Amino acid sequence: MATHTHAIHRPVSRPHDGDLWQRLVHGVLDRFLLLPIGAAIALVWANTAPESYFRLSHALAFPVNEIAMAFFLALIAQELYEAMLPGGALHGWRHRTLPMVAALGGFAGSVFAYLLYVNLAHEQMLVPAWPVVAAIDIAAGYYVLRLIYPRRSAVVAFLLMVAVATNAVAITVVAVQRAEFSASPAGLALLLAALAGAAMLRRRGVTAFWPYWLFGGTLSWLGLYWMGIHPALALVPIVPLLPHDRRAGEVFEDRLDDDPVHHAEHEWNGVAQVALFLFGFVNAGVMLGHIDTGTWAVVVAALAGRPLGVLVAVALAVTAGLHLPRHMQWRDVAIVALATTSGFTFALFLASAALPIGAVSEQVTIGALLTAAGALVTLGLAWALGAGRFKARREQWRPHPG
Amino acid sequence: MAASLRAWMIVALAATLIAPASGQAPAAGNGTGSPLRFAVIGDNGTGKAPQYEVGRQMLATHATHPYAFVLMMGDNMYGSQKPRDFVDKFEIPYGPLLRMKIPFYAALGNHDDPDNRHYPHFNMGGQRYYTMAKGPVRFFILDTNFMDAPQVRWLDAALASATEPWKIAVFHHPIYSNGDRHGPNVSLRVVLEPILIRHGVAVGFSGHEHVYERITAQKGIPYFIVGSSGQLRRGGITPAANTAASFADDQAFLIAAIDGDTMTFRAISRTGAVVDAGVIRNRNTSEQ
Repeated sequence: MATHTHAIHRPVSRPHDGDLWQRLVHGVLDRFLLLPIGAAIALVWANTAPESYFRLSHALAFPVNEIAMAFFLALIAQELYEAMLPGGALHGWRHRTLPMVAALGGFAGSVFAYLLYVNLAHEQMLVPAWPVVAAIDIAAGYYVLRLIYPRRSAVVAFLLMVAVATNAVAITVVAVQRAEFSASPAGLALLLAALAGAAMLRRRGVTAFWPYWLFGGTLSWLGLYWMGIHPALALVPIVPLLPHDRRAGEVFEDRLDDDPVHHAEHEWNGVAQVALFLFGFVNAGVMLGHIDTGTWAVVVAALAGRPLGVLVAVALAVTAGLHLPRHMQWRDVAIVALATTSGFTFALFLASAALPIGAVSEQVTIGALLTAAGALVTLGLAWALGAGRFKARREQWRPHPG
Repeated sequence: MAASLRAWMIVALAATLIAPASGQAPAAGNGTGSPLRFAVIGDNGTGKAPQYEVGRQMLATHATHPYAFVLMMGDNMYGSQKPRDFVDKFEIPYGPLLRMKIPFYAALGNHDDPDNRHYPHFNMGGQRYYTMAKGPVRFFILDTNFMDAPQVRWLDAALASATEPWKIAVFHHPIYSNGDRHGPNVSLRVVLEPILIRHGVAVGFSGHEHVYERITAQKGIPYFIVGSSGQLRRGGITPAANTAASFADDQAFLIAAIDGDTMTFRAISRTGAVVDAGVIRNRNTSEQ
């Protein structure tokens, strides 16, 4: 009763090209765009009728940030876990060393740049927000690179590894840094009971996900909550015990709703998308008058500190004897480094987890939203360097003699 | 014209209430029956000439209206915050007052180093947020940089257990403001305001916006923004319907006197001009 495997992998059937509305909805759901949509609604509402917005967002903060987000984080964990299984896009240890070094460099670069900025500005009050700047938006980086590179490119896998490693460290830091953290034996016992329950369900061949969430997830959530660790991480330890599918296709790729496991994944994806929309709505609403030093410190850390850290770390590793992945050149490393700049979803998550309501949180949240600009910078660099698909397009634009 | 006349009458009334009899220096008030007088400054710690001039004006004001202590609304120190800066940006400009043993009580602003809560002259007892009682008044000094759950619970409990007739909240980021740079912090308002109302807080003092503004009572609580005692955003306010008074032409500070169920106040500019004055009644005691 090991891995649940399937012979057929292909994208889920798409609506007809002519059906623009259905294509639009599909595109929004596939690319996790409900979060920026929720964020945009929040920004407009918070800056036009702030009192009603903040009343609603504060009321929703706990159920959304601490409960609903567990489904999204578990979905990301599931995607990445399956990608690391044999046949998955991230399978193979040899691909992981250099991305780990790059992640370390990016983490150090972003945090160093942030702390340098706030120290030069003499804004010590902003120091506690440092873990937020380490966050990388996995989905944003992935979809930006997919615009540049073909499927199953080594560049995309490289970015995913960097983002996963970085976010894992940042989330761990925030989880442990929370003021309420305590190594509670009772909480640990609940967590272990959750894992044991999930393992038992898997031994019995249960393919529906809801029993895992209901029994394992609930116990795990209570255990983490008791220990003061962010309970939105509750489903992540359960993920390896779920029925799994080898990822012969791409990460985040939708699949046919053709068996109980895929059906469960589809249902789960729907819940996660709703959670993501609500998360954007609850956390991204900030009044733009609160832009201040912390905002620019986050932007500088993400758009300058992290890519420089990635490049320096990779350069040092290559000098020390590691090799770039096959088909990957320095130009591609530069583009990956820039693709890590968007913190957006994960930065919002870490800000909501690490920072209470107050002036610091507001400054940093606006900065986290602005890091989305990194996607445009990445596309611009790819165009300028003629990377991936842009190589052919640049050729088309180049004037031909005669 | 009528509004202008009314404003001058209010100033004259407040001056009468606050001012001592000619030639006499009244007691600052220490809970022995005389009015409790205090000064309020905010966003002051620039170390530049205007801050020093406000400091001199505070000293001159003390000679005629001796206040017992000074409340600091935060951003008590800008830029570098090394030991030398505490001298240049605090101990020299307010040196004469410090030598007269007038204590300062600080709230933390976003430009303050959190470690400044250990600085003895700020009298914070090493706490980010704290409470202190002076005669009939209990002050609740908050840290609105991080309004975390423990602080909210503490505020609720501390207000509930306070027995003084006057409860005054002090926090850096204003929850009502018509300043052009930042505006109100509505996210904080949604958290703080119900607690302040529930426990009968009489007045709220803030800074952050580099102007002076008095807000009409909001759900029973009037608010002051005193954010121009060092910094100044000249003309940086667009008065709205809830603006009772405003001043953004020069640096300013405020003095207040609490006597019975009234608080009289005067906002004074760097040059000594009274730019706002009036009387506030304690909604708790006056309703009884």
